[in-house]
Amino acid sequence: MRRYLTFVVVGMLVASCAVGQAQVLKIAFDAADLRTLDPHYAAATMDRAVVDMVFNGLVRYKPGDITVFEPDLAESWEMSADGLVWTFYLRSGVRVHPFAGAPDGYELTSEDVVFSLTKAADANRSAYSGEYVGMEFEAAGPYAVRITLDRALPASLFLPKVADYAGGFIIPKRAYEALADRFATNPVGTGPFRFARYVPTQKVELVRHDQYFRGVPRLAGVEVWYMPDVTARLSALSTGEIDIIEGVREQAWVDVVKRIPNLAVDVFGPGETEVLHLNMTKDPISSLLVRQAIAYTIDRSEVVTAIGADVAEPLCGVVPPYLAGGLTCEEVAAVGLLYKQDLALARALLAAAGYPTGFEISANITERASYRKPFENIQAQLARVGIVLKITVVDHSSFHTLIRQDVNPLVHYEAWRPSADAFLTRFYHSDSIVVTGAKPDTNFSHSKSVDVLIEMARYELDPARQAAMWKQAQLTLLHEVASYPLYVLKFVFARSATVNYGYELKSTLALYPQINELTTK
Amino acid sequence: MIRYVVRRLLVAIPTLLAVYTVVFLFVRVAPGDPAVAALGDYASAEAVQALRERMGLNVSLWVQYGRTLLGYLRGDLGHSLITGVSIGEQVAVVLPHTLQLTFAGVLIGALLGIPIGILTAIRRNRLPDYIGRTLALVGLSIPAFYLGILLILAFAVNLRWFPVMGAGPFTEPWANLRHLALPAATLGIIMTSFVSRMTRSSLLNVLREDYVRTGRAKGLRERAVVYLHALRNALIPVVSVLGVQTAVLVGDSVMTEIVFSRPGLGRLMVQAMMQRDYIALQGLIVIYGAFVVAVNLITDLSYGFVDPRVRYE
Repeated sequence: MRRYLTFVVVGMLVASCAVGQAQVLKIAFDAADLRTLDPHYAAATMDRAVVDMVFNGLVRYKPGDITVFEPDLAESWEMSADGLVWTFYLRSGVRVHPFAGAPDGYELTSEDVVFSLTKAADANRSAYSGEYVGMEFEAAGPYAVRITLDRALPASLFLPKVADYAGGFIIPKRAYEALADRFATNPVGTGPFRFARYVPTQKVELVRHDQYFRGVPRLAGVEVWYMPDVTARLSALSTGEIDIIEGVREQAWVDVVKRIPNLAVDVFGPGETEVLHLNMTKDPISSLLVRQAIAYTIDRSEVVTAIGADVAEPLCGVVPPYLAGGLTCEEVAAVGLLYKQDLALARALLAAAGYPTGFEISANITERASYRKPFENIQAQLARVGIVLKITVVDHSSFHTLIRQDVNPLVHYEAWRPSADAFLTRFYHSDSIVVTGAKPDTNFSHSKSVDVLIEMARYELDPARQAAMWKQAQLTLLHEVASYPLYVLKFVFARSATVNYGYELKSTLALYPQINELTTK
Repeated sequence: MIRYVVRRLLVAIPTLLAVYTVVFLFVRVAPGDPAVAALGDYASAEAVQALRERMGLNVSLWVQYGRTLLGYLRGDLGHSLITGVSIGEQVAVVLPHTLQLTFAGVLIGALLGIPIGILTAIRRNRLPDYIGRTLALVGLSIPAFYLGILLILAFAVNLRWFPVMGAGPFTEPWANLRHLALPAATLGIIMTSFVSRMTRSSLLNVLREDYVRTGRAKGLRERAVVYLHALRNALIPVVSVLGVQTAVLVGDSVMTEIVFSRPGLGRLMVQAMMQRDYIALQGLIVIYGAFVVAVNLITDLSYGFVDPRVRYE
């Protein structure tokens, strides 16, 4: 009997150890290595995933649903009557992760928040400084932070700047100063997981932050793996060596993985908009008749079908409909700007423009499949009316340089922006025109017609009127065919069926299925 | 011999300087902006400009060239433009994995390739020869990444004998070897194909020599003729192939590292290329150049061990 009991106890101990070991969740990304883990610079998916687990914002997007804001480091906030001053009241007892200068961490206070927001606004220490122009930050006591704006902004545009995204992630002052240049590969924050180790070109290891203010995370840790080969990622997922993988944003891949037992596929938003920008300064695209002919030639549903119904949703306005001010296809159709495919009309428009047999243009495209495949589909469609699109495939970095040098008459661009204002300003405000704009950015069409609407909407405090202005701006753009919106490409990840995120995943700005204190495997 | 080694090492200096100069110029000719690559397309224009200045890309090419070269002379490979991490530190972490994988591939290639080459030579135009030559042709034709995927599917996904990904720590030899097995087999199979074909053709040439006929005529056993007299002479071109292929194998290891998700020099290099990380790319290619120089030197020195007639002057 004693021997039997010993056997049972030893068995239970072994089993409990096994369960303990199993609590480290492994997630693999389509990347060769990390770039930076400073949240004010992190832009790539694999880096955003790590900073999402390590840092917090003053407010946060509700996990799995970007349409709702909820408290994060700040437990409450208020806006002054004139809309110029926002005050955030911090939680007490939020512990910063341990680091070399503070082996037990320390309590996060307003001093850290002011430091972090000031850093986010500094072009020398942040990639997102443009978001914080005209703002002043000050502490109003150890647990209160006051942000003063030079012009009032509606909550829909202000809260994203202090949320858990880009410059809104709060960096603890003492940790940043202690680690200096090493902070980018040794991040210290307040989130549910803290940085433990970085193995170049292989992985980052995170362990749970036992003093996390929402409670001890259920996972013992998270390993973020860099695995650029999708077959290797799927193989590792099949054998259980990896729990979650970044997938391929194509229907065929989704269908294959759905058939594998014990695996699940997550297709979620917000996704990235895929838009064809028409350069209105380059002949023959400079002719409105030619641009209309191109619009009447392209069949959006054909491109969407080629990419796949699960991963691509038709996009009819340049701002996706789930953002405030976004246009639905029904709204676009109602005003007759859907440009439903009509090849006879397209040929007639080309003839009226002086190109009865079509013409030839050349354009660069990146080797990345999510850009190249739809562009090749459009190439085939344009050929039906005699428009010969010659494509030069270049590497992704070269593509970004070339299109910003204004060499392309047509630019296929994939992007996510957090608001209608960001979409419209970065892609259609005259200041953003590539090369010649006051602040050259990504206005590839050289549109100048919606500046006033964009600026009026930005400072409009009434949400309904603001949304109406954004919609009007998009209809103007559709009217002049500055661009042709194609579809929203959703994010695709696959996971072991045993992984439970701890929330319902519909959309996330972290660009990966967020892993937080509630996640289990 | 020491004078020979010193002379070869001195010759390596202008070689590496030429490698650095060519890489320095070529990476800057290619379009692409490391600041945009690092910050992504959502970054503000001011931030991109500020980073470009901080990266030192706004100073003249001569200054950039000189600064990096001075760093190399001090043994400093510089810091990555993208991550800010010391390239020397990164290389120190990943180089042992690349070297381990490369030498494991070479070892498998030598241990399997030479015996297979001998067997196919002495059984020329018979069944073992046909089988050996066919397998060698398959090994030469199959790309490393595809072979790697096949091995993963067979031995990791289906049989579960080996892990799919990663490199085991050197402090845990068993785990390390299990992680090494499939990637080393991938490179080893390719290497075996090269070595077996070279051994076969070299041995067949030597077996036609007069002294081999003499050996047989005076009654030596066939085994003694092949192993004691012919093989030693036949191995010199095989050693050359091993040397050249070792350098090539470091290149092949890029895809193997990616397929097996192993840390390594190749993956660092690809990442640096994709992100226009000029400083990292220059440093990594100079290291690769130094590796090729070292392998060539070792190859040349090993001739003397195989053939005592070789003299180093």
